[in-house]
Parts: sequence; C-alpha cells; structure tokens
Amino acid sequence: MTRKRTRISGRMLFTWFVLAGLILFFAPQALTNKFQFAFAHIFRWPLSISRSISLAARAPSLRDIATRKEYEKLRTAHNQLQNHLANVIEQRAREHRKVEELSGLRNRLPLEGAKLVQGGISMAPDGSKSELIIDCGQVDGLVKGQFVIDDNSIIGAISDVSLYTAKVRLFTDLASKIAVKIARSNNGNMTYIANGVMYGDGKNSAKIPLLSKKLKIKTGDIVFVREKSGLLDAPIIAGKVAECSTDSKQPLLWDITVKPVSDMERLNNVTVIVMNPK
Amino acid sequence: MRWFRFAVLVLFVTVLQTSLADIITITKASIKPDLLLILLVFFATYCRGTEAIITSFVIGFAADIVGSAMGPQTLSFGIFGTLLADLNRVIAIKRMPYQSVVVFITGFLTAALAYFLTFLKAETAVSNAYAKLFWTPLYSAVIGPFLFLPVEWWMRIKKRRNYANSM
Repeated sequence: MTRKRTRISGRMLFTWFVLAGLILFFAPQALTNKFQFAFAHIFRWPLSISRSISLAARAPSLRDIATRKEYEKLRTAHNQLQNHLANVIEQRAREHRKVEELSGLRNRLPLEGAKLVQGGISMAPDGSKSELIIDCGQVDGLVKGQFVIDDNSIIGAISDVSLYTAKVRLFTDLASKIAVKIARSNNGNMTYIANGVMYGDGKNSAKIPLLSKKLKIKTGDIVFVREKSGLLDAPIIAGKVAECSTDSKQPLLWDITVKPVSDMERLNNVTVIVMNPK
Repeated sequence: MRWFRFAVLVLFVTVLQTSLADIITITKASIKPDLLLILLVFFATYCRGTEAIITSFVIGFAADIVGSAMGPQTLSFGIFGTLLADLNRVIAIKRMPYQSVVVFITGFLTAALAYFLTFLKAETAVSNAYAKLFWTPLYSAVIGPFLFLPVEWWMRIKKRRNYANSM
C-alpha cells in the first residue's frame, strides 16, 4: 500500500502556527511557564556549566593584588559578614525590644525553625537580570512567595514553582513589590526611620516611593525586608539607600533608590527560606 | 531540510543565548547579540516557503522559552520570518552588508512587536526597552553575517537562492 502524501499550503501552515502562537499567548502564564521549567530542568547540566564559564569569564582581573579565586573568596566572605552583621544587629535590637515588652514569655530566635534550601541557578530568562530559574522546586518544600537570600541578604522571592524548578523574581524586577523598613546603624544600635514598599525599577535597583521629606533618610541607610507571617519571622537586609533626592514631580516626597547589597550579576547559587518545613 | 540538524542547532543556540552569550556583553546595560534572531534571518533567507514558516515559528518558540513570557516572540518571529522569506523571493539578500541591514530591521520589528505583546500580556513588564529595540538588533547585525557561515556549514546549505518549490 502506498501512503498518500498530503500537501499543506504555506498559507494554511502559517495560519495554524499563528493560531498556535495565539493560544500560547493567551494561555495563563502559570501554565506556559511549564515550558520554561521543563527546558531548565532537561538542560540543567549544560546550562549550569555554561553559566559557570560565563561568570568566570566576566570576573575582574586582579593580577597584582591577589589571584582571582582568592579575591572572589574574600569578596564573598566580606559581603556575607557585612550582611550578617547588619542582620544580627537588627535581630538583637528586635530581641531586646521583645524581652523588654514580654519578659518571661518563651521567645524563638529568628529563622530558628526555618529550613534553608540551596538551589543552583539554571538560567536567567531573557538575560534581564530580573528573574532566575533555580533547580529546586515543590519536592524541596518551595511555594510561591518564599524569600530568597544570597550572601545573607534578601535578593527576591519565589514567583512560580514547579515540581523540580522554581522561578525567582529579584526585587529589582519591575513587577516586584516588597514591604521594607529603612534603618540606620549608629555604634551598633539600629534606629528605624521609615516603613515603605520597595518596587523594582528593572535597572538593577529599586525605588521606595511615597516617603515624606520630613523623614531623615540619607544615602547609606540600610533597607530591611519586613517580617511576613509564615514567610519571614525577622527582618533581613536587602539593600542600601544609594540615592536620596527630592522627587521632581512631588517635591514634598523623597525619590529613594535602593541598590542591592548582594552582587546580583554574579549569582550562582541562592538559598530559599522555608519557614515551616513539613 | 535536515530537521534533526536544525533541532540540535536551535537547542544549542538557545542554551548559548541564556548563558555563554553573556561573555560578549557590552556596556553597563549588558547588551548582547540575539543569536536566535540571527538564526531566524538565516533560515528565512536560505529556506523555501513552508520550511521558512516552520523554522521561524520554532525559533520564536525557543526565544520565548528563554524569554520573560510565552507567546510574544513565537508570534513576532513567526510573522516577520515569514514576511522576510516572502520578501526574499523578490529581493536577493546575498551580500554581507545587506544581510546586516536585514538582521537589524528584522530585529527591530520583532522586538517592537514582542515588546507590545509582552506589555499586553505580562505580569512582568519588559525592562530596558531601548536596548532591546535598538542596541541588541544593532549588535546582532554586526556579528550576524559572520555567524551565517558556520550555520551554513552545519546545515549543509549551499549558497544559492532556491526559487523552485517555493510557496
């Protein structure tokens, strides 16, 4: 028996593909993200290897002072210590207040019951530096909204999750919105200045709008992500105020730019905070 | 058309686009060439009608997988790839400078349509639109024609216009 070969006209083929594209376009993002997750999961090895090569190639050269490896190690350790110090000072102040207020009651240390899940970065979609796909997912206890840290500082939150992979939205992404508080360290004491909401600006930084100029905010102040029930039980550093000027549109308000304390361009592994692991 | 070679090439370039292309980024805005755009222009100018349609949509789908949202690039790459293949039946795009110009114009048009569609769809808005609309196509246009040669070799495509059996 001979098989009859059907010829499809170019116009018909084009129409079918456009329809398929429209279905893909109008399908819910939670559904279509599965394609990205599947790609990241299947090609995790070549993706992670090529990402490591890419990061190594872009590392600064420091021949006279230290080897690149030593420099990177020291820089990472320094960042981690700085961020850890800020967190510890903040946590100490918080604990101190609690002790004063509730002396006699049982108190739990911050992140005491939390499980820290480490994930390697499979890829950064679009190269936009605003989203990452990591190689851990629901099987590791990840759910949407959990905070992600690097070098002891918050870098973003889980925006979508599948069985073996998850998408991290960095706080510099345009769609990111996180409740924060601004504080200043004075000789080991943390003074709170303001609460606000931090929005990503898509340019490797974030903005905190709608803060009155009456608040004494200045460059170098520390930005902490506020506690969130079930997701974060103690404030953790996210960034520092990089610019603080008068808002050109609303002169009674500050225009605050926050730069992350973690080097988001060199991320290779991140840690997810799972507050109440099952 | 050697479809197996095409599939391997698209997967390889997609992996390359998400990671190793970062090595050749320029400026603080991290502008890098769009390797999938270069592939799109290559297949749209070297393939026959139906093959050009299939390759355009498949490359668009691959671009969406490594992009911020699914759908916009499939549609924009598919539509402009098909238009380019049709245009190629009338105007020959053989010389390198012309190929560069075509890569740039196609890059601009696909980025503009994808930007508009992403803006309509996404939760995640596109950041740094100016770089995506202008600088990425320009960078791709500069290196694109040079990458045509290894792709030609891999796909075993001879450097000739194929008018026969076109759409």
